[in-house]
Amino acid sequence: MNENNVTCKEVMSHICDSLGEELDSPKCVAIKNHLDECPDCRQYFNSVEKTIEFYKLYNLEFNPDAHNRLMNILGLED
Amino acid sequence: MNEEEIIESAKTGDRKAMALLVKSYEKTIYNFAFKICRNPERAENIMQETFLSMVKSLNQFDGKSKLSTWLYRIVANHCLMEVRKNKHQFVSTDDNEDGFYENNFASDWNLEPQNILENNELKKILDDAITKLSPDYRIVFLLRDVQGLSTEETGEITELSVPAVKSRLHRARAFLRKELNEAFKR
Ligand SMILES: [Zn+2]
Repeated sequence: MNENNVTCKEVMSHICDSLGEELDSPKCVAIKNHLDECPDCRQYFNSVEKTIEFYKLYNLEFNPDAHNRLMNILGLED
Repeated sequence: MNEEEIIESAKTGDRKAMALLVKSYEKTIYNFAFKICRNPERAENIMQETFLSMVKSLNQFDGKSKLSTWLYRIVANHCLMEVRKNKHQFVSTDDNEDGFYENNFASDWNLEPQNILENNELKKILDDAITKLSPDYRIVFLLRDVQGLSTEETGEITELSVPAVKSRLHRARAFLRKELNEAFKR
C-alpha cells in the first residue's frame, strides 16, 4: 500500500486539497499511482467527488412567479 | 450587445438593459442563495435584496471583476450577516482533523447523483449535513466546488487568501463527505 512513500492519510488530505486542480507535480503523480493501487483511497476520492456532485445537482426550480415578483420589486416589469 | 455594453446601457438608466442583466443572473443567484440558506423563501428574499443592491449601486461597478463575482459577493454578505447571528449552532470545523479521515468505507455510496431531485431522503441528508457546516466554510465550498469558481475568485469574494480558501475547502469537503458517509450507514 505504501510503495510510493505516501501514506493513505496523506493521500486523502491531498485529494481534498487538490481536487479540481492541476495534478502534475511529482507528489501528485505518486498520489495518482497510489490511487490506482489502493481501493480505500480510491473509494474516498470517489466519495468526495460524489459529495460535490450531489450539491451541484440539488437545485430548485425557479418559477415564473418568483421572476415576476422580482421584476415588480425592482420596477422593471414589462 | 455583449455584457459590458449591456452594463453601460443599464448604468445610463436603460430599463431594458437592466432587466436583461437581472434575467441573465436570477436563476444562478436564486440557487446560490438557496444552497447557502437551504430555505426557498429566504433564498427568494436574498435574491431580491441582491438585485435591489445591483440596481442601486451598479454605477459603482467598475468592471475590474466579473459582474457575477460582484453579485456573488453581495449574496455572500447578505447570507453571512443573517447566519452569523446564529453562529453558536454550528460545529467547529477546527477541532481534531483525524476524525475527518476515518477509514470506514462500508457506507452505500452507490446512489446515483442524477436522481437527487426524486429522492427526498437524500435531499434531507444533504440539507442537514451542510447546515451543520459553519457558513464561512459553506460559502467557500459552494463558490469553489459547486458554482465552479476559481480559487482566486473565491478568495476575492470571501476576502480570504488563496491558502485560506484551500484550507477551508479541504475541511469543508472532508466534513461533508464524513457527514454523508455517516448518514448513508444508517
Ligand atoms: Zn491508500
